Amino acid sequence: MPDLSVTDLHAGYGAVRVLHGVSLNVRHGETVALLGTNGNGKSTLMKCLAGLLRPSGGQILLDGKLELGDVPPQDVVAAGISLVPEGRRLFPRLSVEENLVLGAFRSEARATMYEELEKAWETFPVLREKRRQVAGSLSGGQQQMVAIARALMACPRVLLVDEPSVGLAPILVAQVIDILAQLKAERGLTVLMAEQNFQQAARIADRGYVLVHGEVAFNGSMAELTESEAVRVLYLGV
Amino acid sequence: MDLELLIDALVAGLLLGGFYGALSLGLAIAFGLLDVPHIAHPAFALLGAYGAVLMQGWFGLDPVLSGLILALPFYALGVAVYSFYHTTFERRGTDAGLRGLAFFFGVAFVAEVILILLFGIDQRGVRAPYIGRALVLGEFRLPWRMLVASGVALAIAGAMALWLSRTYVGRAVQAVAQDATALSLLGADPVRVKRIGFGIATASVALSGALLVVVGPVEPGLARIYIGKVFAIVVLAGLGSVGGTVLAALLLGVIESVMLSSPVASWTPAVAFGLLLAVLGLRPQGLFGR
Ligand SMILES: Nc1ncnc2c1ncn2[C@@H]1O[C@H](COP(=O)(O)OP(=O)(O)OP(=O)(O)O)[C@@H](O)[C@H]1O
Ligand SMILES: [Mg+2]
Repeated sequence: MPDLSVTDLHAGYGAVRVLHGVSLNVRHGETVALLGTNGNGKSTLMKCLAGLLRPSGGQILLDGKLELGDVPPQDVVAAGISLVPEGRRLFPRLSVEENLVLGAFRSEARATMYEELEKAWETFPVLREKRRQVAGSLSGGQQQMVAIARALMACPRVLLVDEPSVGLAPILVAQVIDILAQLKAERGLTVLMAEQNFQQAARIADRGYVLVHGEVAFNGSMAELTESEAVRVLYLGV
Repeated sequence: MDLELLIDALVAGLLLGGFYGALSLGLAIAFGLLDVPHIAHPAFALLGAYGAVLMQGWFGLDPVLSGLILALPFYALGVAVYSFYHTTFERRGTDAGLRGLAFFFGVAFVAEVILILLFGIDQRGVRAPYIGRALVLGEFRLPWRMLVASGVALAIAGAMALWLSRTYVGRAVQAVAQDATALSLLGADPVRVKRIGFGIATASVALSGALLVVVGPVEPGLARIYIGKVFAIVVLAGLGSVGGTVLAALLLGVIESVMLSSPVASWTPAVAFGLLLAVLGLRPQGLFGR
């Protein structure tokens, strides 16, 4: 049974329709890439999944039973799904540590806050050094690490990551992807990652969906996607 | 000005500043952290002051004790006022700031009218062992009422700083104005967080309001002279910083006090605004903002 399944999802902003019947699923323990160039609806889909945007039609199910299309973000987090949002959205004037601690806001997560914090410092040693600095003073790559670490503090089963590579130098992109791969291996996380950087996404994803104008134009294993030159040239520009 | 007079003015200014700090701390949360244009804040403090007057009339209670007891109903008042403000103004978006300002202006006006109807326009005061006496240290006379006000101010500041930095809700109150959406992605309900934050800010006003009537007699229009001062302090401090708020309040107290004993005493009421303009021009994040 899939962990997360989306069926015929429609969504948009007022009169602007963005998603036109998107269906996809992410199975337990899988890493799935959501591909597509600018403005094709990746973040819109992520917002629907996280409860930030209410879909106008379709269904989002967790574990085949829990309906998530119409619940506020707090309830999505409580159900075990955390989003690392586009643009990271840290609390810039709070310290790195304060940002992470807030990640454990949910009462269930508070019980394990200190253990999770310790795990975070182990995964991101550079953040431990900077834990008293305000988050806004960190470099882009470090901020992305804080954003990921903060989302993990809620102990999610499913991690949604929206374009972790955006605005980062290539070497940092590779580093962030390495960390996601490490988390996947260590914790058995289920990951859905929106990404434009096909090569980097291909390093960790098992499967991919290509969004074009708010519809799934192609889906398959990353191997299939890599082989299909037509898909890459037409939809991904690589 | 001779040295003794200057030192006298400095000490009096520090005590006055401590009292200003007590009055400003709730606003540092409501406006500095939660972005609510709460110009009714001093009016709420005055309600607290009259509450202490009533409690003394009914039960003979000490004003500071009354302030502590009143903190509870004031918390509820804050929760109610914020909930109303949120559903009618904040949630509607764009022009909420300006319309919210009008709302709180209205609230302050209503509070003043209620006080006039209930108590008339005469001054009211309270009695307490520390009112009307002074601690004499050599040449100096330190009025106990000001020492009590400053001490309570420091206690409020300490409690508030601990709450903001050591509790989940306190940290969330700091985060909510920086990015409410991000906060909701961590499992917190931003509206609930703001409601609690505003409740705590209002609870603290009950206590600082009691100090208002400890420091001197009150009358229904008194709140108005404090609006400029407390907003100046909160902005000077760097929005939402507890330590900064106390320091900015002490600074204003000292400057006002020194000016009062100088030849340009008549300019004293303009000090708060002058300081505010100067700081906004030179250092927009406030003196102690990060
Ligand atoms: N808040 C909004 N209001 C109105 N339209 C929006 C809003 N956010 C996005 N859109 C529009 O929706 C479409 C899809 O945007 P979306 O952010 O989902 O794309 P994306 O695939 O995430 O792109 P990117 O790679 O640039 O992040 C775009 O045409 C965009 O202009
Ligand atoms: Mg996007």
